[in-house]
Parts: sequence; structure tokens; C-alpha cells
Amino acid sequence: MAFNVTRRKFLQTASLAAVSIPLSKVVCAETGVTKASLEPKGTMHDTTVVGGLCEMCFWRCQMVGRVRDGQLIKLEGNPKSIDNGTSICARGNAGIKLLYDVDRLKYPLKNVGKRGEPVWKRISWQEALDECGSKLKAVVDQHGPQGICVFPHGASAKYPMHYFERTVGTHNVSEASFFQCRGVRDTAYMASINEAPEEFVDMANAKVIFLVGCHFGENIHVSHTKNYIKGLQNGAKLIVADPRYSASAAKSDIWVQIKPGTDTAYLLAIMNYLVKNKKYNQEFVTNHTAGFDKFSQSIAEWTLDKAAQECEIPAAQIKEVADLLAANAPNVTIHPGRFSSWHGNDFQRGRALACLTALLGAYYVKGGWLPPKRPKLNKTSWAAAEHGNEHNLNYSGDKMQHPYSPPGTPTELIRDCAISGKPYPIKGCVVWGQNPMQTIPNQEKMKQVFKAMDFVMCVDVMPTDVTMWADILLPEASYLERFDEIKVGAAYAKAGDTEPTQYIAPRYPMVEPQFERKDQVYITNEIAKRMGHEQDIPVQTLEELVNKTLEVSKTTLASIKAEGGIHLQPGKPAGTVPEDFMVLLFSDEIAAAGFPGAPTYIPVENVPAGHARLLFGRAPVHSFSRTQNNIWLHHAMPVNPVWLNDEVAAKLGLKEGDTVGLVNSEGVKSRTTTIVKVTPGIRKDCVYMYHGYGMVNPMLTIGSGQGVDEQSLITKIAIDPESGVHGMRNNFVKLTRDGKTLDMPA
Amino acid sequence: MPPMSETSTPQDLSFFYGFLARCMQYPDPQWMNEEFFQAFFSLVDTLGATVEGKEIRDALKHSPDPMEALQIEYTRLFINGAPHVVAPPYASVYMDKSLQGAFALKTLSFYREKGYVMEKDADLPDHLIHELEFLSLLARDNDLAGEEEFLTTLFRPWYQQFCPRVGQETRHPYYRMVVNLIDFFTSEEKKDGFQCNEA
Amino acid sequence: MQYGMIIDLERCVGCHACTIACLSEWEVPVEFHRNWVHRLGPSKVEGELASTYYPGLCNHCTKPPCVDVCPADPVKMTFTDAAGKTITQSVAATWKDPVNGTVQIDKSRCLGCGACVEVCPYDARYINPAMIDDVGDGKADKCTYCMPRVEAGLLPACVQTCITNARIFGDLDDPNSEVARYVKKGAKGLEPKGGNIGPNSMYYGRKKDISLLFRDFTPAALADVNAINRRTMLTTMVKPAMRKAQELGLLGLAGTMLVQGRGQDEDKKKG
Repeated sequence: MAFNVTRRKFLQTASLAAVSIPLSKVVCAETGVTKASLEPKGTMHDTTVVGGLCEMCFWRCQMVGRVRDGQLIKLEGNPKSIDNGTSICARGNAGIKLLYDVDRLKYPLKNVGKRGEPVWKRISWQEALDECGSKLKAVVDQHGPQGICVFPHGASAKYPMHYFERTVGTHNVSEASFFQCRGVRDTAYMASINEAPEEFVDMANAKVIFLVGCHFGENIHVSHTKNYIKGLQNGAKLIVADPRYSASAAKSDIWVQIKPGTDTAYLLAIMNYLVKNKKYNQEFVTNHTAGFDKFSQSIAEWTLDKAAQECEIPAAQIKEVADLLAANAPNVTIHPGRFSSWHGNDFQRGRALACLTALLGAYYVKGGWLPPKRPKLNKTSWAAAEHGNEHNLNYSGDKMQHPYSPPGTPTELIRDCAISGKPYPIKGCVVWGQNPMQTIPNQEKMKQVFKAMDFVMCVDVMPTDVTMWADILLPEASYLERFDEIKVGAAYAKAGDTEPTQYIAPRYPMVEPQFERKDQVYITNEIAKRMGHEQDIPVQTLEELVNKTLEVSKTTLASIKAEGGIHLQPGKPAGTVPEDFMVLLFSDEIAAAGFPGAPTYIPVENVPAGHARLLFGRAPVHSFSRTQNNIWLHHAMPVNPVWLNDEVAAKLGLKEGDTVGLVNSEGVKSRTTTIVKVTPGIRKDCVYMYHGYGMVNPMLTIGSGQGVDEQSLITKIAIDPESGVHGMRNNFVKLTRDGKTLDMPA
Repeated sequence: MPPMSETSTPQDLSFFYGFLARCMQYPDPQWMNEEFFQAFFSLVDTLGATVEGKEIRDALKHSPDPMEALQIEYTRLFINGAPHVVAPPYASVYMDKSLQGAFALKTLSFYREKGYVMEKDADLPDHLIHELEFLSLLARDNDLAGEEEFLTTLFRPWYQQFCPRVGQETRHPYYRMVVNLIDFFTSEEKKDGFQCNEA
Repeated sequence: MQYGMIIDLERCVGCHACTIACLSEWEVPVEFHRNWVHRLGPSKVEGELASTYYPGLCNHCTKPPCVDVCPADPVKMTFTDAAGKTITQSVAATWKDPVNGTVQIDKSRCLGCGACVEVCPYDARYINPAMIDDVGDGKADKCTYCMPRVEAGLLPACVQTCITNARIFGDLDDPNSEVARYVKKGAKGLEPKGGNIGPNSMYYGRKKDISLLFRDFTPAALADVNAINRRTMLTTMVKPAMRKAQELGLLGLAGTMLVQGRGQDEDKKKG
């Protein structure tokens, strides 16, 4: 400023009077301008836009938006929804802060520096697509389609994933939602009941809800949480097995403070007790299970006492839980869980949960596992094609290494092949919506994979940690700016309904994409054209894809929009147990593949002296690392404190709020520090943290370096032998303070 | 180019604003050519910034690919950069701590009040380029009061946070000069003294 | 009529939907909040392990201490009830609505002095420094029980989005309302120690959870009223100067002087 005096100084000096008197004479008493109200307006009178489908997580709540001057001001649950109703969670509400996040990717970027240490240059879409197309084509020409690996995640990644899998023809696809999350649960249930269980448990009508590791309240999916609370309000007894006094444990009637990794032993003892004492549902077992005799022999060793010792819980409490379940069967929820990539013995754990449900007869009953009858949709996408298993890393000849792998190829097989070049080179990498740096354990190994590539492309909305490894980085339209993904389901529309209602809710854009953000159909098709697959392109636009998917339901995007963004139609009752429904208590097929035919407990490595087991889970305000840069969510929970048992803390001389770092048993140190949460609510041999914090990429100006990235400490890799899925709770840590490493007391 | 004087006509000012908006566009050989640099350096020299002008000339001369160097710097400063995006050129980022916040809406309604709307393919209304373009239009319309009001209430409050960020963080003298030029032209109106209607 | 809110901790899962919806609805700056959720525990309460939440907001107290300390010049304000009956009373820049029982702020008259912020035992108020006009440099702000939404026939934003119906809004004076039924079942507010201000946001839950909440978040006692009075006095002292400035048409001055007054007061507090 050019003034030689500040306004305040000027007003304080004697000159004020000198100018103010003449001024006062000329100030007009009335003006034609009124002061704008300082009171924020609220959103009641803003324009309502229907058809939002949330993707702050993957539960896909239906929303409406309030728009003012072309700007999305607020998101709310769609009043027409019979799923989430007018509710959306913290993340859902914070969606507009992702939409308008200044750090979001805006234009195609080319890395003109080194991979991992990027120097970005904005380029045109034309140049970006030419580069992606030609580089990927060069990889396929030189090494075959198997030379490409794909790391997809989320709704927008499905279309490009199908392109690379089906049309290009690579098996090397690793979806985080399968190989680092729920895949092993799905394949364990597939092998037991021939279906993936999803979360089809009727908690609202359950007499007992049994959660093994589920931590509702910290893990939030709106309609699921609604049903859980409905169940509790209706008087359901809640049993929670968790080493930590989780949000669910805090609402429980029985908290089972189980030793991590021993869930299967616990479940086997419950089942053995039910069998030995004939407290199982004999009619269900006779009509709908196979292998009961072999199964009961196999689990016979699991007495209450043996499990009590293994799981470090009282035998009487195991009996109490088993009796409570038996007394209330079949209307009991044995929750299949969701995230299940725990200890590398999780296939057997999933089998045990499926078998326990069978012993209690809790399939296709009120309060039990009760899959809704959902509306059917078309499966429009790239045409399926058979590519043989010659280059499928999961096969050695005819034999599968991990026969119960989820779709795709187990992550570790892809990574090992990419790094070693054996049995063949993998030289091109497509990352779409996934952040493998924080979803896949052992970050150094992931870096090795990227370093081995000739070309890496990433498509995302945010500059997540993995995007630092891209050669070309493409900005994607977010879930609020594109058509996409259709949620279908069935629910009781209102209290007292005897018949369920079905719903179909496609995703509509609530606002136009800004800058040069594009959707997955545009990007994939343009790459496909450049790779010589123009004739295989199934649809020209995302809108067309959704309309074709809807065809069988006799609805269209236009018709559903006119109905308020959600189509409702009469549903069919969930029904009774189908006659051919079978639960394989003992599976000959699994046995033939060389694995235990009956659910079997496989012990995990014990905590080495001086260490604690590193446990992690979800924060209610975050979806993994995806939401860390959201300013509202960040302020709600800025760091992830490390939970430490109060007696252990006293011995270590640590108080609530002290700053600590972590170091794992392989010497890997956390890049950042966090604070201690001292509580009696965790076992002495564990520490616990929320997942997703402490990201590296400095392009994330809010989330970067906040809290500790617990994933960076997960360097020991456990692989579930049946499924090839990762187990991520086999790492052990010590705390560090002021540069000193603290040994955990015995 | 004639020397700058206190008697610059509105049309001159309109031209300056327009030129500054041009300077802030993503570097592209289509417009960032010899003719552009001639005009640019003539302005810089007229203002007496010979040392800085030489610095820019040297930077351009010694770079193996001067265009790419400017593009990289533009991306890092204004789009997505490492170690972080230095200075997003949007008012709301500084005033609302968000893209397209209430401040952007206020800016847009000011445009409307003056009879201007955004083009369909435009960036956000509170982008530096559009604010300069708008100032250029106001100057052309000879709406001095509007120009002054816009500068005081909607432009300077964020620009004075933006300008030093670029000045301190940039690795290319061209952008240091551009933000200083903008600073010079947008604070010039006030150099004669106290603004009574400054609220 | 007395609007009130019940928070049923048996239902609350601590998800923060309420706090973020509020930020969104009322454009609250990121540094502040009109409502909050704290996680309590796990810790031992009377020998039992417990963990629950403190979803807090303005209590729209029956005897709100924040209203008494407001130094703004009173004006006559007329309130109309549903039947059309009017009540006219003299109010400062913050007042308790005699019709619906909520506590509200007139931002155009708020001096931004912060007395109400300081006296509130729940930290439910804040000064939004971005709200500046000729009267005040920053304005007091807080939860309004979403009165503009309620008047438009909607639920408060936090209640509408609550994923488990843990927040229930209604008229405590209506014995048939759900909120009144909760009070009969034992829902209670966080009355400060030795206080009698009658918080109208109330909590219901299992015994151990309520014990934990009341153990950790019962306000110690009402704030030091002397300090507040000093502030009020200071504010009042600068007011004549401010009015003079207004007469002179130099409206920018008021803010400057008030900032000085506040700064001095804060210095004293620190010292």
C-alpha cells in the first residue's frame, strides 16, 4: 500500500476531527442500498437436484443436492430412498468438499521428472491419450496382454477393468476391494453356501447379533447401521468379539476380549459345544448341510478349555455365548463381516462363520442371513472373452496355487512377477481409483513394481500417494459429476409393510464436471481406439452404458429422473430356505484341493517380546485414505491416536496425548508421529489405530503428513493360502518417543 | 509503447488488464511467441525493471526448452504441484479455504450486476484471468467506480495473499514479474491517498 | 412452548453426520462448529468399562446466561405465536424467544464483544471473525435449532441426517411430544455444578454411558461473571464513542475501537 499512515493510526490522530466534521456535513442521511444479511441463508430455498448416488464409501446412499448459482451447496439423503432415507453419514455430507477440493486433479498431467519424484506438466487430452494408447500398445506388442497389470477400485474402474481383462486380455488385475478387503469372506462363503454373503443379515429382527471384529459406529454404512440399531432397540442381545473395546463393544451385552488371530479357534469351540450338547438345529443340518460327521470329528478337539487357553478368554464366557446363540436360534445374526484381510488364515475363519450360521439354522430366517430379492439389471460392458490360463499366474499347469482366489489375480503373484520378470515381463501398469501405496502392504515392494514398469498411468480424482508414480496422470469426474453405477435393492418401505419394495437408483450428475475432468467411458474408449480396439467399444457414452444396463428393468435414466431419482416397484418376500440350498460343513472339493475340508484353526505368529501387535480399523469420518484431504472430515478427526492399554502406558511412562512414533519388528519407522490414547479398552499385547492417515503426497495440502500411516508399518506379508488374499495384522511394533525406542512390557 | 502516465486513458488500462490476463494463461507457443515477448519486455523496460527483465531473458535463453520450463512452472504454481500446489489462482481458496466458495459466488454476482456472464467453457469466475478480463471490460466501459469497487472488495483481499506466495515460491523470474505487474496495475488506483469508501 | 432436543445415546453411534451436515447447512467456517461429537472412554465408570459420545450443541437454556451479558442496546422486538398472539419485549443482540424458547442472535446488532461466548458453560458459541460490519468486528454465532428450517416445515439439519434417529427434536412443553416422553423416561441436560440454567438439549442412555458423560462433561460452574462484567463494561465504555462515529458517518471506526477493547481484556486475562 502506498499510504504513509495506516487507517487505524489515521483514525487515532487529531486529523480525524479535522476531516470528520466537513465529512459529516456531506454524508447523506439515507442511502438506497441495504446491508446484506450476515446470517447464512440455509439451503431450504435452494434448487433441489435429484439422483445423487454417494461414493464417499461404496454403500451408495441415495441423495439429493441443493444447488445455488450452479454450485452444489449441500447434499442430503433422498427423501424417496427406502434404503438410507434422509440420512447420509459424515462422509456423505462432506462430499461437496471433495467436489471443490483445490488439490483435486484438474487437467491431464505428464511427469517430465522421475517416476516417484514427479515434475508435472499440464498437457492436452489429445497428447495424454496418445501417450497412454501408444505406450500400452507397445507393451502389448512386445510382451503380450499379460504384460499389463491393473489396479482398479470403485465404480468408475469397472468399465476400464473389463476392457483390460476381456478385450486386451490380461489376467493381472488386483482389485483392492477383493485382495485387501472382503474377497476372502466372499470366496469362503462361496465355497460353503455357493453365494457371496454380502451383508445380508437381518439385524433389525435378530434376537442375538454376533459380531466377530465388526466395529459398527467406527465403520459406517448408513442402512446397515440403521438395521443394527433397530435390532438393538428391538431388544437384540449383542455379542462382540474384539481385542479392543470398539464402538460396537461399547454397546454390547457380552464383550469377548479375544486374542487377535484366534477367531477360528473360538468359533470351532462354540460349534463343538453346540454339536456335543445337541444344541444345534438338527432339522436344518439334516436337510441343508453336507459332511456333518466329518465336520464334527474334525472340530472335536476344540473343547471350551482348549479354546479358552488359545483365545485367552474365559471358558465360561464361550459357553455363555454358545448357549445364548442356541437359545435364540434360528433368529440370530452371525455377521459374515466385511473387511476380512486379517491374519492370512481368513478363508478358514470365513468357513467357520458360514458353518456356525448353519448349525444355528440361521439362513433364510428372520433375524438371520436373509438375502433380499433385488431387481435384475443387464450386464452391459466389454464383451466377455476367453483368454486361457497359459499366462494366468495363479495356475501352474492345471493346478491353481490359490484355488479360492477372488476374481482377478492375487496381488502378490502380480507383484512378484513384475519385479522378477518371471515367468514373464509385466511392463505396463494402469491404476484406476485405487491407491496401492496405502491399500497394499509393503510399500517398498510396491515401489519396486512401479520401477520395473515401462509405463504407468493413473486415473483418479485426487493426487493420492500412488499418483506420484504415474507417467501420465488423468483427472476423473467425481461421483457427483457423472452418470454411473446403479444401486438396486429391496427393503421394507415403511414400518408394518409385509411385502418388501424393490428400488433402482442410478447415479446422475448433480453438477457438470469442472476443468478438464472426464469420465471412465470417455477415457477408456479413447485409449481403446488407440490400442486398436475401436470395433469392440460397447457404448459411446456413460449415459448410454447406464441406459443399456437399465433396459431389462423397463426403466430409463429419463423415467427414473422423473420419479425423483429412484424407481420403486413391488418386491418379493425374501422367502424360506430354497430346497437345494446346501451348506458344506465338510467340503470334499476343498479337501481335494489340498486344504482342510472342515473349518480349521491355523495359529498365527505370536507377538515377539518387547512388541505389540499392530491392529487397525476404520474411522467413522474416513473411507480409508480416500477422504484424508477433505477439510471437514480432517477437522472432525485430525490425527489417528494410537490406542494403548492403560497399564502398559503406566509402565512405559506414557500419558494420554503424549507424542509418539512407531517402529516395526523389521525396523521400519513411521514417517510421522501421533498421540497416545490411554485406555483400559484394549489388550496389553496390541495397539490400535485408524487406517488411512499420514499420506505422503505433498499435493494433498490438508491430509499430507497428518497422523501416522499404519500401512507403512505393514511390511510383513501374510498370504491366505486358499485365496491368495493378504493378511495385514501380522506386524509388530514398538513405540518411540524423543528418538528412544520403548520396549513393550511383558 | 508510449510511456505510462497518470493520464492513461480507460482504453489503455483496458489493454493492460487484457495483456496481464494473457500473461497468466497456460504457456502455449500459439500465443507465447516472439511477438508476445516483444510486447512483454517493452512493458517491463518501460517500467524500468531492467535487471529483472534481463533475468527473465537469461532464464529463457539458457533453458534447453524454455516453453516446457514455463509449462512445468505454471503447473506447479497454479494447477497441481509438488511439493504442493503453490498458489491456486482462485479467490475462494484464500477467502473461503475452498474452491468455489461463497466468495466466488459474490464475484460472479458482481459480474452479473455489471452485465457480464461467464462463457460456457470458462474457468471458475474467481480465476485470476477472468477477474483481469473483467477489469479490462470495466475499464473499456469507463466504469471507474465499478473498477475501484471490484478491486477493493473482491480483488485485492485475495490477491495480496496470492502475490507474495508466487513471488517467494516461484522458480521462474517470468512469473515473479507477471504477479508484480498485476500487483502494480491493480493497486495503482489507490496510490493518491485514502479511499473514503473503503469499508 | 420450549423447543428442545433429545440425544439418545443408546442409538448414537458417534458417526459425526450431524456435525458435518450443520457445517454444510450454515456455511460454518472450518475452524468453528455449531455442534460437536466427542468420543468418551473407553474408561472405567463405577468399576465398569464404558465408552459413549458427547454430541453437543447449544442448550437453548431456560435461563440463558449468554443473554444476560449482552451489552448491545436493547430494541423492542415483537414475537408472534402460532395463534397469532404477539408478545413485545425489549431485547439485546441475543435473546430468548418468548414464543418457542430458543436463544437467537441478531447479527446486525451484535458487537462481536465475545461476552456471550465466554459466559456459555458449554462453549456452544464462537465469534465468526469473517462476519464484519459497521457494528462489530466479528459476530457471535451458534446453533439456532435450525429455526429457519423449522419455520419452513423441515427438521433441523442434524436431526434430518442422523443415521440412527438418535436426535429427536420437539416441544418439551407438549406432554405428548416424543421429547417430553424422553424427559419422563429420565433424559436430562448437562446442568453446570451448582447452576440452575435449565439446558434444553438433553441426553438419554444406559446408566453407565450417562454416568461417563456427566462425569466428563458437566461444566465445572458458571464462568467467572466478574470477568464477563468487566468485558461488558469495557464494551459499554466504547459505545458512546462508537455512536459518535456513527453520527459522523465514519462507520469503520467502531470495529477498530472494539478490537482494542477486546485485546486489552484478553491481555489482562493472560497476565
